[in-house]
Amino acid sequence: MGVYILKRLFLAVPTLFVASIVIFMLIHLAPGGPVRVMLGPMQDPVLVKKLRHQLGLDLPVYQQYLRWASKALHGDFGISVTIQRGSSVMDLIAQRLSVTLEVAFLAMVVALLIAIPTGILSALRQNKITDHIARIIALLGVSIPNFFLGIVLILIFGVYLLQPWGAGGFVPLSKSIGGNLIRMLLPAITLGTAYSAIVMRMMRSAMLDVMGQDYVRTARAMGIGQQSIVRKDVVKNALIPVVTVMGNSIGYLLGGSIVTETVFRLPGVGNLIITGVFRRDYPVIQGIVLTIVVVRILTNLIVDLLYSYLDPRIRYGGAE
Amino acid sequence: MNKNPSEEAKLGIWAHRGLLEEFWHNFKKNKLSLVGGIIVLLYLIIAIFAPLLAPYNPVEQFNAPRGEHNPLPPLSRSAEGYLFLLGSDKFGRDILSRAIYGTRTLLQVAVGSIAVALVLGVWMGAVAGYKKGTWVDELIMRAVDVMLSFPTLVLAIALLGAFGIGKTRIGPFVLSNMVKIMVVIAITYSPRFARVMRGVVLQEMTEDYVDAAKVAGASGGRILTKEVLINTIPPIIVQASLMMATTVLTSSSLSFLGMGLQPPRPSLGLMLNEARDFLFLRAWWYAIVPGVSISLVILGFNLLGDGLRDSLDPRQARRVQQ
Amino acid sequence: MNVPLLEIEHLVTRFYTEDGVVKAVDGNSLHLAEGETLGIVGESGSGKTVTALSVMRLIENPGRIESGRILFRGENLLTNSEKKMRQIRGKDIAMVFQDSLSSLNPTLTIGEQVDRVIRFHTKLTRRRRKSRVVELLTQVGIPEPKKRTGNYPHEFSGGMRQRALIAMAISCNPEVLILDEPTTALDVTIEAQIFELVDQLKERFGMGTVLITHDLAVVANSCNRVTIMYAGRIVEEAGVYALYENPLHPYTRGLLHSIPHLNEEGQERLPSIPGEVPDLISLPEGCNFSPRCRYADERCRQVAPSLKEVKSGRKIACLKIDEIDE
Repeated sequence: MGVYILKRLFLAVPTLFVASIVIFMLIHLAPGGPVRVMLGPMQDPVLVKKLRHQLGLDLPVYQQYLRWASKALHGDFGISVTIQRGSSVMDLIAQRLSVTLEVAFLAMVVALLIAIPTGILSALRQNKITDHIARIIALLGVSIPNFFLGIVLILIFGVYLLQPWGAGGFVPLSKSIGGNLIRMLLPAITLGTAYSAIVMRMMRSAMLDVMGQDYVRTARAMGIGQQSIVRKDVVKNALIPVVTVMGNSIGYLLGGSIVTETVFRLPGVGNLIITGVFRRDYPVIQGIVLTIVVVRILTNLIVDLLYSYLDPRIRYGGAE
Repeated sequence: MNKNPSEEAKLGIWAHRGLLEEFWHNFKKNKLSLVGGIIVLLYLIIAIFAPLLAPYNPVEQFNAPRGEHNPLPPLSRSAEGYLFLLGSDKFGRDILSRAIYGTRTLLQVAVGSIAVALVLGVWMGAVAGYKKGTWVDELIMRAVDVMLSFPTLVLAIALLGAFGIGKTRIGPFVLSNMVKIMVVIAITYSPRFARVMRGVVLQEMTEDYVDAAKVAGASGGRILTKEVLINTIPPIIVQASLMMATTVLTSSSLSFLGMGLQPPRPSLGLMLNEARDFLFLRAWWYAIVPGVSISLVILGFNLLGDGLRDSLDPRQARRVQQ
Repeated sequence: MNVPLLEIEHLVTRFYTEDGVVKAVDGNSLHLAEGETLGIVGESGSGKTVTALSVMRLIENPGRIESGRILFRGENLLTNSEKKMRQIRGKDIAMVFQDSLSSLNPTLTIGEQVDRVIRFHTKLTRRRRKSRVVELLTQVGIPEPKKRTGNYPHEFSGGMRQRALIAMAISCNPEVLILDEPTTALDVTIEAQIFELVDQLKERFGMGTVLITHDLAVVANSCNRVTIMYAGRIVEEAGVYALYENPLHPYTRGLLHSIPHLNEEGQERLPSIPGEVPDLISLPEGCNFSPRCRYADERCRQVAPSLKEVKSGRKIACLKIDEIDE
């Protein structure tokens, strides 16, 4: 298993490296050059030159990249040009990352609590009413965009049911745990619904796959009871692909949090990147994208670890 | 097997034509996918015939009757007496008309970006699969891996952030916002097509009929490609259909965030954004109409894609205990 | 005196698929006595596995056991409740399946899987079960049994896995042991070892054994009696020596003649039975084998022969028995 993990790590590094190059190149994709974009109609050549120098744009490209990358490795993503007048991008991210991660985490909890049992039940009662209802709800969950779902929830709870926490807003955990969590309820549901739908469908389909396997037949032939079969043969094996899907779909949670934070006005990095895009604040954009990619790669690694733990075939190589 | 190799090769194509027929037969049986197909068809009709179906010009602003103000609820009338079937928005524009035209742009963007993503991705994947094991393959697949390490919405936003929102000037060319979004989304989704294509190509290349064709003297390049390509069509269609659903989701999300079509052009996502300010005035129609429109399209493509995928699954065919 | 252990009477099992009704087992009768080994031989699709699964009542949708009786020590298994069957499966009647890798749960250790069977059928304490597991693994010839209880199926070789499956099957001392093509996936030397093991176990524990296979060589070595199945019906039944010395049914003859012999020189072509195995959904009228049989006449194609006893212990389903005596 150690070898497996090391291999994954080895693959992750070059991916991260190339991704960082892509992120870095973003600033140069702007037609006319980033400086002209940032200055807008004011094209005073002196100012242009000054800004170019300040951003290090007068150096050859690869040097620029090295400068940027080494700073990034030290956690220095540069200074935000437009937000809070010159605060460090890293500071901005640090303040807000916890909010984003909290919503993503809660969305996952929702998925685990609801999607997995539902998937199991759905498979066990295949083609009965429970199954059909669950599948329809899952289909809707995947088809309704999260921003629409969020707005509908606000309509129901904030407007028509007049719940104060139904309108968005944020209370930090340090101030009040209850206040924080109740306001996270709707965002977590919004973000977690599509994710849960994906997980539930995978769980159901994995269960059905496993139920048709020979080893389930063997267990039945040995007189093993239904409950034990479901627990140790079916669910145990079905979880393997489900964990994989949960890991792969984390990208969705990260992207979806951008929209969710906008709908519920949460002070997370998602909200920040939108502001950055509208203000053409490249350091902010680059910093956040890089952070998200790093988070993604880290979670992939964790999922790989989990996967190798669940599947003994990976943990201990074959002996044939 | 007594058949000589060239017969086997011919049989290969016919065997797979049989697959297409079986595929259609399975597909027809699945009721849900038919529903999906109908929904998609309906939307296509709405999109194509938008000018004929929309009661009003989507950017025309109407005044509210005295004493009331926009947005007006469904079935109310403007100051001049025009009927708003589904209500009006904050500027007094007819929601129904905007929704219809919005659907048109939504589908335009979706179809456009999938088309480009398909061409790009399929080409990359075919090259990679064909030259499996060489540096070309490695290079392409590493690039795909890197692209896939960005969550799709994040990548799209980053690219749009780099290019800027609104019209863009590249040298002598002017890229409209819509084209830019299509390009951005196409770039975001082409890696997935590349992966699928490569997988299918690799799988097809191990099939017997390929070996048979080689033995029969078919030159490596051309004939092989034709036969292999025919059989990559069904999985690519399935992928495309499923991707349509995601593309619509992504592009409407971008619109919602304000990075899509700029006002006053009608855009479903943007309508939802505008609606937020009026939720507390209980203007539910402002959000529900565009929201349901988007959801239905995605639902339709999902049903269609699921149905297509199930029809291709060989397990759907006979399953007899031996 | 041979005490009847298992008696199958006119078993009919069918599968209702989208493409039609598959008559997997078409009114067959079999019997097994204590201490006896019965071989069921046939090509794939002949219905041999379905017969075994019917005995175990493991037939699931779209399959159904339509009619017949399966008597185990006099009691009809087909009228038992599912609960009762669970007690019988693995304890009184045990089955060993073909593909050992797919027949074992990849996420449980071998020790856990054997232990589970014991736990479900006995009230032994954990410690006792543990030692019983090691005892069983030793009995089936797995080296380093204690260490091996902690290994997963993929860490075993094919032969070892098959032994483990056998260990699971005999763990509660069943009276009937059914082996479904136990060595098809293994190579010849391992196959020999497995059959040696089974012989030892038979001697020790005296169980009635049903051996399902398509390999006639295996049957010759291990069985007392043999039944030959074709397309869902039994076509011949005989003691093993009688069958090999003088096969009566045309199908049996075809099978025996198609075994390659090492010492015969001058054989140009391996004789094979012309034609193909029929589709069990669209079976011909009359005798199932008639399309491929060189003795077949019009009557054969119209009337289905029933299994008749021609000599003591020899049964045949053929209308032309008198004419075939070359």
